[in-house]
Amino acid sequence: MTGFRDRTAIVGVGYTPFSRDSGVSTLTLAADAILAALDDAGLTVDDVDALATHRVGDSTPPWVVAPALGVPEVSWYLDQFGGGSVSHSVVAQAAMAVASGVAETVVCYRAINARSEFRMGGTGRAPAPVFDAQYQAPYGYFAPPQQFAMYARAHMNAYGTTHEQLGRIAVAQRANAVKNPRALKRDPITLDDYLASRWIAEPLRLLDCCLETDGACAVVVTSRERARDLRHRPVLVSGAAWGGGDSFLSGAGSGMTGTDFTVTEAARIAPRLYAMAGVGPGDIDVAELYDCFTYSVLVQLEDYGFCAKGEGGPFVESGATALDGALPVNTHGGFLSEGYVHGINHVAEAVSQLRGAAGDRQVPGAEVALSTAQPGYVLAGTSALILRSDP
Amino acid sequence: MSLAQRPRPETDRDSAPWWRAVRRHELTVQRCVSCGTPRFPARAVCNRCRGREHLWVPVSGTGRVYTWIVNHQVFMRSMADEVPYTVVAVRLDEGHDMLMYGDLVDGDPAELHEGFPVEAVFTDVDEETTLVRWRPRPRDPAGRASSRRT
Repeated sequence: MTGFRDRTAIVGVGYTPFSRDSGVSTLTLAADAILAALDDAGLTVDDVDALATHRVGDSTPPWVVAPALGVPEVSWYLDQFGGGSVSHSVVAQAAMAVASGVAETVVCYRAINARSEFRMGGTGRAPAPVFDAQYQAPYGYFAPPQQFAMYARAHMNAYGTTHEQLGRIAVAQRANAVKNPRALKRDPITLDDYLASRWIAEPLRLLDCCLETDGACAVVVTSRERARDLRHRPVLVSGAAWGGGDSFLSGAGSGMTGTDFTVTEAARIAPRLYAMAGVGPGDIDVAELYDCFTYSVLVQLEDYGFCAKGEGGPFVESGATALDGALPVNTHGGFLSEGYVHGINHVAEAVSQLRGAAGDRQVPGAEVALSTAQPGYVLAGTSALILRSDP
Repeated sequence: MSLAQRPRPETDRDSAPWWRAVRRHELTVQRCVSCGTPRFPARAVCNRCRGREHLWVPVSGTGRVYTWIVNHQVFMRSMADEVPYTVVAVRLDEGHDMLMYGDLVDGDPAELHEGFPVEAVFTDVDEETTLVRWRPRPRDPAGRASSRRT
């Protein structure tokens, strides 16, 4: 396990602007984010020998992006099928490719026009083929907000989790976004604003949902040795885990056979993840937790071991996840307020925090960060990274 | 209700027998011939013993609500006149880990709770397709949900 720990580093992050209508192709978005990430690292396209992304039939693959950018030679690439749950496995696999010597410098990117072209809610394209949709779609049940509402209700039933507790997550993340110039939503909100927002699918309201966003984000992965010669303090990939348990391919991901909707695949991979990095939940200074909906944050606080099962609601109510709390969560505002680039903008924010370069929203002295993918609902499995600043 | 406009199930080679049974207003699950484990949704291989032989066996059509939503957003124009509607996830009485979904008919979502007893209702939506939906289970004079077959 330790053969992987701290062998590779993230040396560059890049973004396009986030918007509701980019007006450009996903190829253009990918190119802009990759060039920005290389520039941030002090590298050029000539230094790139590998590319990695994930998509669900909604974006431009590496074998189109590489020649479009004039990458001289590609020694490895990854075109992973999947949505948010695989987002962090893309960066993890890039780190594996570097650690194994197959590649030297990998750009990982995700480019989507999730508002103007391919909306996850079902308009603008055919929904991604989900194996068990036949048992759900005829009843008007197929959109992610509905699925997460179903899981959130199970958590409320089991543990008494409240609307107000979910609302505290939305309010805290918006407060962080106020300090993030890149964020799409920068007006503060109150718990009353949250409670007044309209129902989407009870028990979830509009302000429980992430922002359908056009945009791209990229990060550059290379070896620790090479990283030390580059522009920024390297951010090491200390641990990575992805996959799931015995439910991985049995349908639990689509909510068909799981015995308990209140436990996610995050609980399954967390021990492996912490063991690989040689840290525990108490060592995490900042956590960027996949927040397609408020509820996914709450359940991951439990499943990554920051509080006991069922205590996620009281934990967020205590203020622990605020920027000045014991465990600052989604310091950029997350998908709820910064924008939704399907996972990789969480990795980029963790890198900014560990560089000490997060501006007004910097967590003082942040050295170890957890960044996570969609925790395994809808499409099974999850993925996560533990990053740390090079001592 | 615009049932005729709803999305049709995209059946596959494993699930076709289940949908044919539903068309006959029969609710079935698979049972592994080797180890006896009942399973749903349809799969060719038992994930307990890897057995390939199975039987389709009838179930009672009764279950209990595990969780539910009340949908307000119009995600699909063809269902615009149905909002708000309630979708329930039901654990079958024959097996805790066998879940079926469907909309709630003849019931008030405000009365739902985990464990709420329901029974299957078959609705023919056109010449080819029948859907399984769920309604509150009638109560006997003692106030307990009955377990009568549908």
